[in-house]
Amino acid sequence: METAISAQGISKSFRERRFGPWKTVLSQVDLEVAPGAIFGVLGPNAAGKTTLISILATLLHPDQGRARVLGLDVVREAGRLRQRINLAAAGAHFLWCLTAEENLRFYGRLYGLGGRALTAKVEGLLDLFQLADQRRVDFAHLSTGLKQRLMLAKALVNDPELLFLDEPTSGLDQEMAQHIREEILRLNRETGLTILLTTHNLREAEILCSEVAFLKEGRLAARGSIAELQQRLGLGDHLSLVFRVVPAALEYARLPGVLTHRVQDARVDLVLDRAEVRLAAVLEAVSHGGGELAQVKLKPVDLEEIYREITH
Amino acid sequence: MKLPTSFQKIWAFSVRSALVNRRNVFAVFEMLFWPAIGIFSVGLLTRFLNLSGETVTFILIGAISMNTVQIAQLDLSYALLYSVWSKSLKHEFIAPIRLIHILLGCGLVGLIRGFLVFVGMAVLSVWLFHMELDRPGPGGLAVFLAGMFINAAIIGALVLALVLRFGQRAEVAAWAFSYLMLLLCGLYYPVSVLPAWAQALARFIPLTYFLEYFRHFYGFPLHSSRPLLYGFSLSMVYLLISYGLLHYTLGSAFRGGILLRLSE
Repeated sequence: METAISAQGISKSFRERRFGPWKTVLSQVDLEVAPGAIFGVLGPNAAGKTTLISILATLLHPDQGRARVLGLDVVREAGRLRQRINLAAAGAHFLWCLTAEENLRFYGRLYGLGGRALTAKVEGLLDLFQLADQRRVDFAHLSTGLKQRLMLAKALVNDPELLFLDEPTSGLDQEMAQHIREEILRLNRETGLTILLTTHNLREAEILCSEVAFLKEGRLAARGSIAELQQRLGLGDHLSLVFRVVPAALEYARLPGVLTHRVQDARVDLVLDRAEVRLAAVLEAVSHGGGELAQVKLKPVDLEEIYREITH
Repeated sequence: MKLPTSFQKIWAFSVRSALVNRRNVFAVFEMLFWPAIGIFSVGLLTRFLNLSGETVTFILIGAISMNTVQIAQLDLSYALLYSVWSKSLKHEFIAPIRLIHILLGCGLVGLIRGFLVFVGMAVLSVWLFHMELDRPGPGGLAVFLAGMFINAAIIGALVLALVLRFGQRAEVAAWAFSYLMLLLCGLYYPVSVLPAWAQALARFIPLTYFLEYFRHFYGFPLHSSRPLLYGFSLSMVYLLISYGLLHYTLGSAFRGGILLRLSE
């Protein structure tokens, strides 16, 4: 199966100021994204996330390396590729004096839509993103949440096969951010739309992404699903047991899947390689040892932990 | 290039330009207030100086040309500045558009606005200052208008190139370019009164030839034997150069990240 995105050895440098020294923003980045995936690009500020997404979205030429999106070269076949992709970025910006509807119509025309097809598309997007009541409101007078919704609506005006989302929920309140996330998931599920997103919000990446890549100082530090990264980095799920009756001497280190453990009075903290597989065996061993549990807490490894491990 | 699709893309920029102008009080001011002030001040000055009918016409042609070219080039010059000001440049260039769509779309609105300014100023000149606008005939008038609009397109394309290179700082160029050109091409005076070096520069400005051509219908001498040939030839050369420059700066913007910086 052909990949939706395939990039090899992407590098990019910028001058910090005219005649100033060159600064490497991306260095030898390789990336592959499967069709239909929601792929997250994560990393701290200035890691090169927006530069990478801009190169893949044909807005910036790489200094080195090659990238193909939907089978088309991002530099040499940019014109044909642009018909099939779109972008929504943080901090929605459109022409301030055009209404929500006029802005959508403008972008629709840029993709060659006209007449009834344009009207039907714009009406559909206004309904989908609950913007119909604000259709005649100037962009400048829309709230931040509505602007961001309009940005997403614009990004779907050409029925893209691949969507780039650059921090799509940045600056939104929780409720609106959740609404946008649900919309992203729905689009991916119902239309098979491939999505590449950058985000600072690791919880958001956990909810949305089937696979992630971490950028650090312009280099690809790691990539894979959360489970794969957990395994590769040797990170485990945290299991905390609080006993009413402490079991007889139990060698926790010898229990299956235990990576580390710590005993403190009636509390035992274990780190398991894969909690969903090991939990039953651990609880059975505890029970055999005569222990009586008062409380069991399980905290699966999360992206934040993986992020800390990779970026520090 | 599929025609219906390209037409929609051109139309997108025309509609956007028209809407921005309609909602911008300064755009209305540009079209009504300044041209009217220009005609009144210049016309009344000629009356005060008690100039002959031909000389009054000579000067009024200059005033009309200045405002027509100035207004006609603005929509093109501002085509990308609107996007820079609204930080939406990258959303336009991620769409499958070409420079020609922007140039034709915004140029069309500039042409209409420029034509309206020309008609308004011509009506005032004929009505208040007895300018004989009909002497060159429809053909002469059409050639003169075409010359002015081509010059406006050259200025607009050059300003667009500057916007892609220098961003918002190029805004001042939108006005400065045309004023500099208009100063040299003999707007209110024959080119012969300029210093020799300025006269030499004026010969490289197409509008110089179109003004000479139009004024010769009123008895003023031609300084070149074939003004239309020189005027249109120079215009074509400059149009090609400015389009090439614009194409090059857009390529540089993709390589250097200027498109992204202008969208932040």
